[in-house]
Amino acid sequence: MIYADPGDSFAEWREAARGLLARGVRPDEVVWSGGGQAGLFGNAAADDDAAPCGTFRVPAEFLKLARAVACYESVERWGLLYRLLYRIAGGRRHLLEIESDEDMRCARLMEKAVNRDVHKFHAFVRFREIEVEGEKVFAAWHEPQHFTVEKAVPFFVRRFGDMRFSIFTPKLCAHWDLEELKFSPGVERVALADDTTEDFWLTYYRAIFNPFRLKVGAMKKEMPVRHWRTLPEARLINELIEEAGRV
Amino acid sequence: MELKTKLSVLADAAKYDASCASSGSKRERPKGGIGNTEGMGICHSYTPDGRCISLLKLLLTNVCIWDCSYCVNRRSSNVRRARFKPEEVVRLTIDFYKRNYIEGLFLSSGIIQNADYTMEQLVLVAKKLREEENFGGYIHLKAVPGASEVLLKQAGKYADRLSANIEMPVQEDLDKLAPEKTIGEIEDTMGTLRAEIDESRERARADKKSARPAGAGETFAGAGQSTQLVVGASRSSDSVILKKAEELYKKFKLRRVYYSAFSPAEFTSPELSRTPTPPMREHRLYEADWLIRHYGFSASEITAQIADGNLDLTKDPKLAWALAHRQLFPVDVNRASRSLLLRVPGIGVRNVDRIVKIRRFHRIGLADLVRLKVSMNRAKWFVVTADHNPDVFNLDKTDLMTRFRRPAEQLSLFAPGPATVVMGEI
Repeated sequence: MIYADPGDSFAEWREAARGLLARGVRPDEVVWSGGGQAGLFGNAAADDDAAPCGTFRVPAEFLKLARAVACYESVERWGLLYRLLYRIAGGRRHLLEIESDEDMRCARLMEKAVNRDVHKFHAFVRFREIEVEGEKVFAAWHEPQHFTVEKAVPFFVRRFGDMRFSIFTPKLCAHWDLEELKFSPGVERVALADDTTEDFWLTYYRAIFNPFRLKVGAMKKEMPVRHWRTLPEARLINELIEEAGRV
Repeated sequence: MELKTKLSVLADAAKYDASCASSGSKRERPKGGIGNTEGMGICHSYTPDGRCISLLKLLLTNVCIWDCSYCVNRRSSNVRRARFKPEEVVRLTIDFYKRNYIEGLFLSSGIIQNADYTMEQLVLVAKKLREEENFGGYIHLKAVPGASEVLLKQAGKYADRLSANIEMPVQEDLDKLAPEKTIGEIEDTMGTLRAEIDESRERARADKKSARPAGAGETFAGAGQSTQLVVGASRSSDSVILKKAEELYKKFKLRRVYYSAFSPAEFTSPELSRTPTPPMREHRLYEADWLIRHYGFSASEITAQIADGNLDLTKDPKLAWALAHRQLFPVDVNRASRSLLLRVPGIGVRNVDRIVKIRRFHRIGLADLVRLKVSMNRAKWFVVTADHNPDVFNLDKTDLMTRFRRPAEQLSLFAPGPATVVMGEI
């Protein structure tokens, strides 16, 4: 058995996978770990100097898929990606087009979950305008499900490039100072000062709700309950449902 | 009146317009400005009615000189009235946008004085946003039927989307319920918008060909135009509604037709329907609309087999069509054309495309369909696969219909809204 631990880094997985593939290691001979489990088994694949660094041609589409799957919060992603790589390199060039293949289906589901997480990142970040050392800045607390901060934040730079902002998350924090996007380690929690515009937002949320058509399931499907604690308007939800019941 | 109170009154008054789309338009952030659109819409929040919040949806005022009996803001209604100053709407939009609550603004209005004056006020807000605030986010403006061409042209310069609501499928309905409106006038407005949109696309194509830099301000309503029909206020059937929708798509290249189920609370006109429209009726109309736009169905095909002119509430229109055309089935998923695959109940557009791709490499069996998450409950009766599909032998049984029938009382519980339909595949 060979043990490999790329942590949460796609670059490290790629490095390890290249070495393993060059030695012709079968997917079932590798035990992948990641995300803080390093040291438990050592890092056999990366430490092995004998592994030649040959290049393997894989479709660009595979790299795109792999980069997305790499953001998925589960250690299983590394083994799955290696299995796909091994099969493609082994001659199944069209594997990416066989969406009904079990490995492909898993990979596509992970990719979909990651893309959805990025989309919800763009949707659910709520900035507060706060004052830091006499300067107005925007700050948000968001809890993504997967490792999507680096993927999601450039969107905010394109959109709000003239605003200084920070987005704090448990996985990674991002800071835009009008010139450069910087990242810092994740934090457990931040307390942000109140922003009076939030009252207007809550007023709007209450008024645009139509109490004659209650579809709580449809709402929860698109706005899962685990996001509610970072959404200011979510504190109105139970109250609105109750009021609607009385209409 | 305090701004918060106005916001409450004029958002409440705006919620009957179902459209909340913020997609289909691309605009980079203006230099030194705020906001962009990247083509994909974003739903920033959802309310417990299952609808999304993508845009700040407001009326400039709910004062209206018209008296459309199905509308809460009609002249004779006794709702509380309010009116925003243009700069108040601008302030709210920018403040909300900066906090990432919204993709932009959807501004409509009751009719003040006349069509032109009303349109002018709407354009003024959009102009302030674009020119004074350097706003690059999404703007949807209501196109007031009968407004002058000059004003509509200005509106399209600032807005990503424009919509003139047709409200009813035939003039007879409007005569009874909205005496100030005519289909002719509304369609004239749609015609003007279509001509401008076509011209703008043509210009963009020419610019691209000659490698001229595309003129930023020259795009006219980049996300096109849409409209809305109120369903169930008049007696017009689904057949009439779908025929009209199809005609509007063809004639004016609309991006979307929205259907809004009428509920008769607080409405007094004797011409109005007394019974609330079942939400399922609205849902079925969206499904049928989807079949027309993406599945190659014509409105007449969908409505040919329905007896009273209304869609079957107990099954989706694609399944209803397939059951009425069983001679065309079963369809061999390994050989059938794309257009025929699109007709199989339970297989959506994306899966049709996947199937066409996969079968170049291997023969497709039932397990493939299951892994593609095809809705097997509906599809299994209608397909032949590479392996043995026992259910297909029931295709000609006379009781096949009953296998899809749900108990009638379940209907009120099972009522997904347009938000879910819009996303889904059928």
